[in-house]
Amino acid sequence: MIRATARKICMLGDFGVGKTSLVARYVHGTFSEKYLTTVGVKVDTCEVARPDGTDCKLVVWDMAGRNGVDTLAASYLRGASGLLMVADGTRAATLRTALDLLMQARAVVPEAAAVLMLNKLDLIEHWEIEPLTVAELRNSLPVFETSALSGDGVARAFATLTAELPA
Amino acid sequence: MSALPAPVLAHLQHTVLARLHPTVFSYASDGRFLGCSGEPAVFGAEADPSASADLLRDLFIGMDEDQPCELPFIVLPGGRSTHLHRLPDRDGFHILLLDAGAEHARQQAQQQIANEETLAGQEKSKAIGLLKRIRSDLESERGELEEANALKSALISTLSHEFRTPLTSVFGYLHLLERVIGRDPDAVPALRAIQRNATYLFTLAENLLEYGRGDSGAALLHPDEIDLIALARDVEAMIRPLADDKRLELIFDIRVREEDRPVYDELRVRQILVNLLSNAARYTIAGRIAVGLAFADGQLTIDVADTGPGIPPEYRERIFEPFNRGGPGGRKGAGLGLSIVRRLVQQMGGRITLDSAPGQGSRFRVELPQQVRTTGADAIAETPDRTELWTRARTAIVVDDDPDVAHLLESLLLDLGFKVEIHDNAVAGEAAALREPPDVLLVDVHLSGASGNALVFRLRAQGYRGAIVTVSANASREAHDAALKAGASTFLTKPIELSRFIHTIQRALQRGS
Repeated sequence: MIRATARKICMLGDFGVGKTSLVARYVHGTFSEKYLTTVGVKVDTCEVARPDGTDCKLVVWDMAGRNGVDTLAASYLRGASGLLMVADGTRAATLRTALDLLMQARAVVPEAAAVLMLNKLDLIEHWEIEPLTVAELRNSLPVFETSALSGDGVARAFATLTAELPA
Repeated sequence: MSALPAPVLAHLQHTVLARLHPTVFSYASDGRFLGCSGEPAVFGAEADPSASADLLRDLFIGMDEDQPCELPFIVLPGGRSTHLHRLPDRDGFHILLLDAGAEHARQQAQQQIANEETLAGQEKSKAIGLLKRIRSDLESERGELEEANALKSALISTLSHEFRTPLTSVFGYLHLLERVIGRDPDAVPALRAIQRNATYLFTLAENLLEYGRGDSGAALLHPDEIDLIALARDVEAMIRPLADDKRLELIFDIRVREEDRPVYDELRVRQILVNLLSNAARYTIAGRIAVGLAFADGQLTIDVADTGPGIPPEYRERIFEPFNRGGPGGRKGAGLGLSIVRRLVQQMGGRITLDSAPGQGSRFRVELPQQVRTTGADAIAETPDRTELWTRARTAIVVDDDPDVAHLLESLLLDLGFKVEIHDNAVAGEAAALREPPDVLLVDVHLSGASGNALVFRLRAQGYRGAIVTVSANASREAHDAALKAGASTFLTKPIELSRFIHTIQRALQRGS
């Protein structure tokens, strides 16, 4: 039996919502305006401190944008302790996709912790998601309005997920 | 299956190995890294193979350890896309890395195009949706503006209409007062002041009503044969007190033959004359106002020249704009008069010109082509013999629920030698008219209970053939047409001026039903 030395986190969401940019912001502190689609999975790692004072290694699986969990995606999800669901605030449809993906992902990894990132907070004037909707979502899971551009909310979302990872 | 020929196998081994750069990380059963072989440098693992080995091992967390397992297209932190295979072995396991860079690049290029197209399509849909919303908002706003404009017009029309009824009393009783105290030197200035202000109010009400009609006014033109001489006299009677008050000389030069009955909308021509003349009277401090009225070769020419302050060139266009009172003469009116004049002239296909210079006075010239008559049935057969109409005692019934107006009409009719009977409702008026038909029946449109038009209609429906004059404060073409359609002989608008009143009674007596 291989000892779990790290925690696997999967990022899921429609294409173009900013998953790769969020990882780049969180792990490397960088941001690029250029959109480059992800094929397969981009893997990155980082060390984070847990609330109990221990360090934890996160292996972040930035999965290609999709609107459903197929066999391949299910294979990528296997073993994940946490799910970072990402939606684009300027595209309401991506929120529905994120929630659908969450439901499907939970069928594969029912114990995984999950948070929802509503990205592109810097474009709030163009958001299609209503504040009331966000308030209602918060009754179901932690929700963070984030901006990969400015970094707003990104670290808090990762920290919250890390804190909620199952032991 | 037989083995492949050795040269083929050698070629395949060479090309596949060259393309995939197979690299193997080997582990003990407890996950301990044992070593690597192949080309770890291709995957950025040559510097610290142990750290890379830890990451690779962690990628398979939670997966079945006893079965071969594949993770395609894993982009490692170094940026290399890799197909990862974990292969169990008797004493541990191996992780095989196969380079997927070329395949990844191809797929990424295709996916990039597809995703960008989808995003562009979504943006386009969003933009179209936004444009539709903007258009819908604009249409909605336009609807609201049109509604507000209609309300504004209705309000202006109602207000100006409401002006007319009290002005009827004012003008009428002024006439009576003039007869009684017109020679009293102390009373004349007071009478003139009342007349001047009533005229101003009347002009304002007419202009507001016209303004409220908006640009649809052309459709309301109602050309008919008109008596230009009588019209000129009416207007002169209205303006002369204003001129006298300022000791201005008012000269009328009328070049119209008695027998001429040119076809124009009388109300509109009157409005043009009243506006031009009241402006001249208002702005001229001393000197004279000369009015020329000529009809020849199918064209009516109105010339109004004054010795007022004149209009500088920079104001000449501006004075024709509504609510513009910025001329050198200061703020003496509502600023509607000349804009209304120009609009009416344009509606009648005519033109207006201005010749003016500061200190030299102003001269407005209006040329109106004769209109096409639209109310043949209403035309006067011939000018009545005025003296003949009054040679015998006549009877009149007045139906009006406003006692002031009823009393005024009674006074005017008594002056003309009529015997007058007054009723304040349609039922009593109808019964009286049928009982003993008068020579002329005057009916106000707005009566409490059944309307004046209903009364006229009912009378005509019972074969009543006497002369009926419908009186209304509503000067609109619709009101005029509705009255005639109900059966009125003529239509008289308030406020009532004596000369127009006499003319209307004459026409009604000529026409009957």
